[in-house]
Amino acid sequence: MRKFSTLVCFFFFFLFFCSQPRRQPGEVRVRLVGDPETLNPVNYQNAGGLQIINLLFQSLLTVDLADEKLKPALAARLPAVERQDSVTLFTYQLRDEAEWTNGSPVTAADVAFTLKVLKAPLVNNEHLKPQVAFIKDIVLSGSKTFTLVCEGYTPEMELLTGDFFILPAYLLDPEELLTSFSLAELSGNQEKLAENKQLQQFAARFNNADFARNKDLLKGSGGYELEHWATGQYITLKRKENWWGKATGAASSYLTANPERISFQVIPDNTTALLALKNRQLDVLESIAAAEFDQLKQNESFKQDYALYTPTIYDYTFVGLNTRLPKLQDKHTRQAIAYLLDPDNLIKVTLNSYATRTVGPVPPTVQEFYHQELPLYSYNPGKAVKLLTTAGWAREKEGWFKNINGRREQLTLDVIFRAGNTVYENSALIFQQNASKIGIPVTVQAMENSLLNQKLKSQEYDMFFRSLSGNPFVFNFKPLFHTSFAHSGGSNYTGFGNAESDALLDAINTAGNNTEKAKLLKRLQEQLHEEAAIVSLYYQKGRIAVHRRFTNTKISGLKPHYDVSSFLIKD
Amino acid sequence: MFFFLLKRLLLALPSLWLIATLIFLLSRLLPGTFGAENILKESGDFYSTGTAAARKAAYASFLHKTYQDLPLFYFSIQAAAEAGTPAANLPEQERKLLKKLSWHYGNEEAVAAYVNCIKELRQELHIRDNAGHLANIEKLYTVTEPEALLATVKETVSNMGNTAPSLTSKLQTSAATLVRRQQPYRAFLPAIYWHGTQNQYHQWLTKLLQGNLGNSFRDNRSVFTILKEAIQATILLLLASMLLTTLLALELGIFLQKQSGRRWRRIILPFLFFTDRIPVFLLALLLLLLFASPDYFQLFPVYGLGYYTGAEENLLQRILFMAPYLVLPIICLVFVNLPYLTNQFYRTMADISHTEYIKTAKAKGLAEGTIIRRHILRNALLPIITLLSDFIPALVAGAVVIETVFAIPGMGSLLVQAVQARDYPVMVGIVLVVALAKIISHLVADFFYTLADPRLRLTAS
Amino acid sequence: MKQLLNDIMFLWSAKPIFRVAGLYLVLFLLLVLLLPWLPLPYNPTALHLDQVYQPPFKISLNEPSKPAHWFGTDALGRDVLAYTLYGARTAAFISLPVMLLTTAIGLVLGTCAGYFANTGLKTSRGRLLLFVLCAGIFLYLGLYIPLQVVSLNLNQRIIFESLGMMLLAVSLLWLVGLRVVEQVPLLRSGVAIPLDRLVLWLIETFTSIPKLVFILVLASFMPPSVVLLSAVLVVTYWTGTARLARAEILKIKQLPYIEAASSLGVPTVRLLFYHAVPNLVSPVLVTFIFGLAGLLAFESTLSFLGIGVPADLVSWGRMMAGIRNNTAAWWLVVFPGAFLVLTVLALQVCSYYYLELLKKRKN
Repeated sequence: MRKFSTLVCFFFFFLFFCSQPRRQPGEVRVRLVGDPETLNPVNYQNAGGLQIINLLFQSLLTVDLADEKLKPALAARLPAVERQDSVTLFTYQLRDEAEWTNGSPVTAADVAFTLKVLKAPLVNNEHLKPQVAFIKDIVLSGSKTFTLVCEGYTPEMELLTGDFFILPAYLLDPEELLTSFSLAELSGNQEKLAENKQLQQFAARFNNADFARNKDLLKGSGGYELEHWATGQYITLKRKENWWGKATGAASSYLTANPERISFQVIPDNTTALLALKNRQLDVLESIAAAEFDQLKQNESFKQDYALYTPTIYDYTFVGLNTRLPKLQDKHTRQAIAYLLDPDNLIKVTLNSYATRTVGPVPPTVQEFYHQELPLYSYNPGKAVKLLTTAGWAREKEGWFKNINGRREQLTLDVIFRAGNTVYENSALIFQQNASKIGIPVTVQAMENSLLNQKLKSQEYDMFFRSLSGNPFVFNFKPLFHTSFAHSGGSNYTGFGNAESDALLDAINTAGNNTEKAKLLKRLQEQLHEEAAIVSLYYQKGRIAVHRRFTNTKISGLKPHYDVSSFLIKD
Repeated sequence: MFFFLLKRLLLALPSLWLIATLIFLLSRLLPGTFGAENILKESGDFYSTGTAAARKAAYASFLHKTYQDLPLFYFSIQAAAEAGTPAANLPEQERKLLKKLSWHYGNEEAVAAYVNCIKELRQELHIRDNAGHLANIEKLYTVTEPEALLATVKETVSNMGNTAPSLTSKLQTSAATLVRRQQPYRAFLPAIYWHGTQNQYHQWLTKLLQGNLGNSFRDNRSVFTILKEAIQATILLLLASMLLTTLLALELGIFLQKQSGRRWRRIILPFLFFTDRIPVFLLALLLLLLFASPDYFQLFPVYGLGYYTGAEENLLQRILFMAPYLVLPIICLVFVNLPYLTNQFYRTMADISHTEYIKTAKAKGLAEGTIIRRHILRNALLPIITLLSDFIPALVAGAVVIETVFAIPGMGSLLVQAVQARDYPVMVGIVLVVALAKIISHLVADFFYTLADPRLRLTAS
Repeated sequence: MKQLLNDIMFLWSAKPIFRVAGLYLVLFLLLVLLLPWLPLPYNPTALHLDQVYQPPFKISLNEPSKPAHWFGTDALGRDVLAYTLYGARTAAFISLPVMLLTTAIGLVLGTCAGYFANTGLKTSRGRLLLFVLCAGIFLYLGLYIPLQVVSLNLNQRIIFESLGMMLLAVSLLWLVGLRVVEQVPLLRSGVAIPLDRLVLWLIETFTSIPKLVFILVLASFMPPSVVLLSAVLVVTYWTGTARLARAEILKIKQLPYIEAASSLGVPTVRLLFYHAVPNLVSPVLVTFIFGLAGLLAFESTLSFLGIGVPADLVSWGRMMAGIRNNTAAWWLVVFPGAFLVLTVLALQVCSYYYLELLKKRKN
């Protein structure tokens, strides 16, 4: 009895603490999957980090999620492009009103400084350095105007020249250690440069953890500043008083800093995040599990507080087949496999229909380039059997056999995908069942990420499930499909490609106008469809919930799928 | 007594070193390195950001900066045929072919000459942009068996006809030499290579001896700071749950031992078995669904350890503020660990209760409670202490799931992240700290052993 | 062995609850063994894409020809009933051998360490040297080369050649080496092997490295398979039993009558085992049963962390983990969970009565 009363006391003691956390007005709470680890603008590690740095710093250009168009941010307008024989010149003009946190203006010298940091040896800039390798030099003409000298030409260059965060030189390099170097010099021999004392000093300072976390150093031209960071728990950002972006006028209304405070909450587990949302502890949550999202749709009390969105996001899911294997060399074999995949059911069962089918890597939402007339591969075992026979396979008791190079081979498939991804796992299992129905033995194997990458790179696989993230502006598929990337270790894992497709890929990158480009892209989609080395499945639909007290959420297919800085509280 | 403990401590040092070395070597054996993902962009995007060559160069400089391009240990043993590892800057494909052929033919000079021929031929064809023949060359990279190799070379040469005749003839002769001068037995002979102090292990060990665990690859903070932060975040959780579990387990064990508890035994023991079998994530999920969801009881916050208020707080305020966040994780941890401990406690006490001296005590007419607490418990302390000393590291590392579900940044989730990101310094640091905690707890256990059992005291001195 | 059977017969006739639990276990074993021949309406791995997440006990009236999914279906329309039954089979096939192996290893190492202590095991220096040499040869020819061959995807022939060479080298070394050793007086003198210290070192090392690290590291080397998972579990679980066994032997060695017996020259080995083994049964049995059922929970935890067992392995843990994608599908947890609990409960009841009996007999 005494025990029982102690228990009751204990319980009341608990209840004493049980108060719901108070919410601060004007604060938006967003979920992060993991801690951003570092907010260093040249060394960020994950999408969460990028999302936060985007609020602290700005780049020259930005994508307005409202209409998914490339627009000037720190630049006053889009760059003037001038193509010469071997170089391309991008001339930018910076906004007059743009200024740093201390009130000093953002100048062309800051851009030059940023590029130097990105290219300097010893600095932890390895993952951004290759991205600006094509920028060979910068020519300053006036304090607000400059020209970037770029090597060659590729269509994504315009995007890339405006796609790095501009850093304040006054804050990050007060001793002006980098001033004496020119950008061209820093692009030179890295080993020799690494011996330079001045560069060593700068790198040692810049690599310090302070530049990854210190709120006094992480001050950019963006509308927010870092307020507090509790590692692994949350990061709060505070809106700047009198931010310059407010005064840019209606034409630049996409430069926003509306919520007073933005709080990023680190919640690794999806189920927990969903519960937090149901508890009203979060304002925004994306990639909700499909089955749960359907249940939220039925939940009236939830829908009173939250609005649900399903934009088509640029996540392209496909199946890759290793064309170098003798058993998969014949395109008819690959087509037969494509007819066994059953993408319609995959979408219905694994994603509760939150996906759009596609014929190729071009998103169906980009109607100008998408090939509407091409038929989609759907489940058709009869056709698959016919195609296998065409390819020379003979059905026997244990399965399909064929003599290849004098050796009797059986058609078996080993499907690999990233461990922990239930959608791929279920898709692979569905394929396994479909294939076994016509007598093809399939094994299904989940793999740890780096092991998977290793297998794909060294081309030791039969078939894989994978997705790529893309965007609707740039269609440079060369690294994925060109034969010059098909060697072991190259990014063309499937070994797709022939003379025509190579020529097409080159032509797409240099196409003068959109009609020509559309024609070429459609031909490429036909080729991909015909060869079936890459069987396109679908583009996913994002599943996002946002609290109803906000308007102007700019839900979009582009990452991060909403613009938290533009959230406005409803009156 | 003091010397006994000192001796134990000194004896523990080699085992600490062994663990550290083992985990260091084990961690470096992992495929993939930190940065490979980020720098080489293997997961791929739609449009390429930077050329593959630029990415490779950046990656190489990263490896160099973090000493990861050095050999692993003071020496390495390889098959004589391998003749040292091929230079890391070679393309993956070429390196692999070199290695494979060396294993098969055991003559590295002939192998190098042959691979060089293929390479030259490929470069030549690249210049001429001849896609059809390039496919032929690709095939050469896959064959290793002598007959197949000669046949493929012959086929390639005949296919190419008159393109680059000097190179094709060179290829043919080098392939013939390779097959003729093979020394396959060399694959079975070991060769020892000496690397001196320029190796990763030496660098790491010297730093460690100076008390420096290194810096994290991810954010360049010192591992020490990261560990401190993780321990701070969860120390309250771990201590509270451990204390609660031990007390509850002891009380339950004693309760079950009593005559009055007999009736309950049939219910409590199976119930404990039942809770022990529930997977942790399910238990956590269940607790969340029941006590932190608007559908049932919305009593506790769902995740984390609090939020930013902007106000300065003292320690007590902070603990009070954190308390509601900790309730569910603590319940969860207690539930997870209670069954095993209770059962072990109960069993040890039950065994002792049947010994002669307890019977004597009973015959003397001592009260039941006195017998249990004075006599049984005291004798059961030994195994209980062992169990508890094993419990600490398991608690630290075993809380991963609870940390993930409740979004608490503790040691367990740090460990998983570190392994997945290949952040070796952090990974090794955690294992070292856990090992240290364990060794200290063993020492403490030994100390109590000697206090609890006079027989051991005699043998110790 | 005969004693055990007699005990079981006695308990069977005397304790009705034991009878129920025993009956359940026998049925469970029969089920596990005979499952493939039972007439189940559904195959556990057959997918029914038109019937996903069907709640249990729902009989579809539209299609009376189709047998009902009595326990509902999961995310891919697999029949939970069939899946649960087959899960029992997998559980038994994985956990029984693993636990038997770990208990065996733990008992042998623990009792040896306790019995021989640091001075009990003696051999000549020469033999020790030979042993170390042989171990080296084994590591190189028997382990390193085959591993390299597998990872580089070389001709399998090399593995066999290497293994053959290893056997040849070891036997040659042993034959010739022993002769040489006998001749050299320096090598003939005996040395004591500090077995106790070695085993303690091993235990310390294995328990200090979190199990999770082992598994994460192994998972990144090769895709997880049942064998791999079992190997990791064996490697990490034996320490508990070993430590218990060692402590028990040490305790018994100090008992007055054992000391007396050994001073009288009575061979202590038999005495020791006669007294130690009954004492060991109770803690080892507890660890065994906890370990047995713990394995099942552990496996589902692995799938939670995304390391996972092979995708087509039928297991309770995998089914239970399915609730994370749809928290409304309670039947995914309840049915396999109930099965799991019943099995463990039956095991526990049986062990409980048996231990009580042992205790009684001891007094």
